[in-house]
Amino acid sequence: MEPEAKLQELKAKLKNVIKRSVYVYRVDCGGCNGCEIEIFGAITPVYDVERFGIKVVSSPRHADLLLFTGAMTRAMRLPAIRAYQAAPDPKIVVAYGACGCSGGIFHDSYGVWGGADAIFPVDVYIPGCPPTPAATLYGLAMALDLLQQKIKREQWVEKEVTPVLPKYEGVDPDLAKEIEREARRLSGYLYGRRIAAQYLEFVREKDPLAVDRKVKELVKQEKDPRLAEILLNLHKIYMERVGHDAG
Amino acid sequence: MENEIKGQQDRKKYVRALYSKFGASILEEKWQTQDQVTLTVKLNTLPEIVEEAYYGQGGWLSNVIGNDERSINGHFAVYYVLSIEAEKDPNKNLWLTIKALVPADKPEFPSVTPRVPAAVWYEREVRDMFGLEPVGLPDARRLVLPDDWPDNLYPLRKDAMDYRFRPDPVAEEENYQFIGVEGEGIVEVPLGPLHITSDEPGHFRLYVDGEYIVDADYRLFYVHRGMEKLAENRMDYDQVNFLAERICGICGYAHSVAYASAVETANGIEVPPRAQYIRTILLELERLHSHLLNLGLAAHLVGFDAGFMHFFRVREKAMQMAEILTGSRKSYGMNLIGGVRRDILKEQRDQVLRLIAELRSELDDLLDMLVNTPNFISRTQGVGRLDPKVARDFSPVGPNIRGSGYTRDTRADHPYGAYDRVSWNVISKNGCDVLSRLLVRAEELYESFKIIERCLDAMPPGPVLVEGFTYKPGTYALGYVEAPRGEDVHWVMTGNKQKVYRWRSRASTYNNWPSLRYMFRGNTVSDAPLIVASIDPCYSCTERVTVVDVRKKKAKTIQYQELEQYCRERKYSPLKN
Amino acid sequence: MLRLLKKALEVGEATVEYPFKPIEVAQGFRGKPAYDFSRCIGCGACATACPPNAITMDCDLERGIKSWNINYGRCIFCGRCEEVCPTGAIVLSKEFELAVIKKEDMYCRAELKLCRCIFCGEYFETFREIEYVREILEQVGLTKKSSESRVQFLKVCPKCRRHKVARIAALSNWHVDLNGRREENGTRS
Repeated sequence: MEPEAKLQELKAKLKNVIKRSVYVYRVDCGGCNGCEIEIFGAITPVYDVERFGIKVVSSPRHADLLLFTGAMTRAMRLPAIRAYQAAPDPKIVVAYGACGCSGGIFHDSYGVWGGADAIFPVDVYIPGCPPTPAATLYGLAMALDLLQQKIKREQWVEKEVTPVLPKYEGVDPDLAKEIEREARRLSGYLYGRRIAAQYLEFVREKDPLAVDRKVKELVKQEKDPRLAEILLNLHKIYMERVGHDAG
Repeated sequence: MENEIKGQQDRKKYVRALYSKFGASILEEKWQTQDQVTLTVKLNTLPEIVEEAYYGQGGWLSNVIGNDERSINGHFAVYYVLSIEAEKDPNKNLWLTIKALVPADKPEFPSVTPRVPAAVWYEREVRDMFGLEPVGLPDARRLVLPDDWPDNLYPLRKDAMDYRFRPDPVAEEENYQFIGVEGEGIVEVPLGPLHITSDEPGHFRLYVDGEYIVDADYRLFYVHRGMEKLAENRMDYDQVNFLAERICGICGYAHSVAYASAVETANGIEVPPRAQYIRTILLELERLHSHLLNLGLAAHLVGFDAGFMHFFRVREKAMQMAEILTGSRKSYGMNLIGGVRRDILKEQRDQVLRLIAELRSELDDLLDMLVNTPNFISRTQGVGRLDPKVARDFSPVGPNIRGSGYTRDTRADHPYGAYDRVSWNVISKNGCDVLSRLLVRAEELYESFKIIERCLDAMPPGPVLVEGFTYKPGTYALGYVEAPRGEDVHWVMTGNKQKVYRWRSRASTYNNWPSLRYMFRGNTVSDAPLIVASIDPCYSCTERVTVVDVRKKKAKTIQYQELEQYCRERKYSPLKN
Repeated sequence: MLRLLKKALEVGEATVEYPFKPIEVAQGFRGKPAYDFSRCIGCGACATACPPNAITMDCDLERGIKSWNINYGRCIFCGRCEEVCPTGAIVLSKEFELAVIKKEDMYCRAELKLCRCIFCGEYFETFREIEYVREILEQVGLTKKSSESRVQFLKVCPKCRRHKVARIAALSNWHVDLNGRREENGTRS
């Protein structure tokens, strides 16, 4: 049998044996602690991985599963290799977090070698910066064949040229841009875009008087004074523009 | 306005005093802001002037920056940043930077460490990164660079190498020289670098006589990732915010704010008040989760594991608040130069206020339970003493120094964000021990609740972000934040090409490590993990312990778990038999 | 001790039911960046802003293809891509279950067709981006005629724009179709 196939078979056997009692050893290869505290979050009461028999142990010699966090720094390469060698075969290797998966934001720095897979073969990757405790639960369950993988490689190819239309149909793109910009300045990209979209719905009316009436109506009903403030600011831009165009 | 002018007058008197003492040695005086001044001095007078500012004017060493300015003025430069806070008045406190140029053809400068011990780590780092030799520095070992890094390659020199260059390892084993402590019956106990509880790797070596620790040494920087070089080469000003956040996964937002405010100050960018409030709220939120984490670990280490679980259970509320306000439990990603990326609307505000109320009442119960646990006081009182005199020499920061009777808190000493616009108190205790540091954190949680609630109530209207500014090349300034573990001080010099010329970030724990050695002394081995945890380092424990018994000339390796268990139960010493 | 037991009883079960039941994340949670290929114009704003270089763009000048690539394994979920995207093609979803077995499954790729410069004939920008800008020019109310002469400008690569300013001035006499073929004005039906 091919060594690779043999290894896979052994791992499958291991998963079958350790099903309800999985010993995990964490190796921090130069992480920022973000991953570490989220793993902490996963083993404490609210997420409690121990209910699945997953237990963090204190020595790689006890481990069935190794969890590598952090971009592999130069100084941690040797300790990481020692930990890897100390864990009995077969073992499951999990790369945890953006840094563990690929080196993350540090991927091309002189101080790191990249992700965990720059040094040893990895079985499961858990992306995230850091992965939430729920993502940790999911990833560990996947490493143990308890849950199925959800995302897969995707590829899109433009065969025919297909145009992309501006975001707000029937609204002057200059006005839309200005409103969006002001909304972002006032409320940040996320709420700003939502508020701008809501406001630009009114503008489609075309009739400035109707727009003015409807916006004022909305502002009056708005329970959040901050939202009302933002809407009025956007409205000012529109009214100035309309006034300018008219006069 | 009148107050401000008076404040500047008050601050100038420190500079005048230095002039009257060192007159001709001071070559240049440059004010970056009302409370930040940089004095360029003659290289040979550097140690005396830093000493005078430190001990003579009530200064604390907050940062030391090495810089390769050969393309600007033909020299290297070192900057010693001191926080002068003798009068404890935010209108009179001053950031005083002493700068000296180091000739490019003779890269050495007189070491300040013999006069001001707090400079020791900084000078070792400047030597590692720039190849500038601190003449007279007793400690000749590397600090930041790994053991397998080639000699004579100094990463932060502009002409040394590409930021992506990865030299082949020159050593296949760690060869760091630990201090040797000799004497009859002295045993060496190495810990690390891997460990089970949490956080970063680090290697400790304890020298013990029987059960008592006589000295300690440590090798850290296992996580040196080359961030400063990365920022100078690959990133634009906004991207570094996200990199700064990843200096530390626990108090990363503090770093992001410190970096952003350094850039904003250097370029004269006015951050809108609403953004200041939002930054303040998030900084306090970060303090909540971080202090709860530390209190939980302390409970664990004194053997009160049920308490540990409860602390982590309620800590989830702080994480939930972060998710509501920023979209992420950790790594808030909220800063851009000039403001923040998300507003706080009524919906989020109401949810956070509700969670704060819940957390406060949970905490009342838990803390009451913790201090009434029979062995909690006995395990922490009088343990891991940080002597105020040692503290004065090494400039530790945060709850660490506030537990030793000082009231140093950057939020009060050099107010930023909205800290001078809402009322709150600096917490300080006089016990100098593990207990005091824990109580400082516990009480600070309540101050954080107050600050968050008051900021949410008083948030001014207006934008959360300014745009349309331009970056001015060649300017520099400090940015500072009181992170959960103490002040973070960043220094940024702007460059052209939309990149920082030099970004120096100094994390709070950096200032806390050097005095830890003194906190170990005289304590028992079983208290070591507790003492380490009490400075709340980005590091807690270690994987295994090798015990070297000098008297019996015998080495023994034991599982770290045994030591931790010993710390919790104090029975069956692993050092016996 | 009794108080501790009392507390434990009071609190009851604190553990979430995930993964047996879906877990509710906060509004505005920053999960997997969801990419809408039909709205991407290949402008590269996301790749420029991305702090960890999880999003990258490549040009294949032989095949006339500009590709957009993401590596979810390097992504830090900051949402800068969403913030800078002019067309709303990328939005952070609530999806957090991203673990994979094969590294390749963390990558996604999209290919957009490039337009040739009407002067030098080199590929330089995606059709979609040029069309998008044209559409906007049209909507802001420029007359068809002047808008069309602006469209000709759009089809000149930056290099030629710099070096051949004078020749571009004569552009309004030409009409260019989307494939970049240059024709005399009026010969196109």
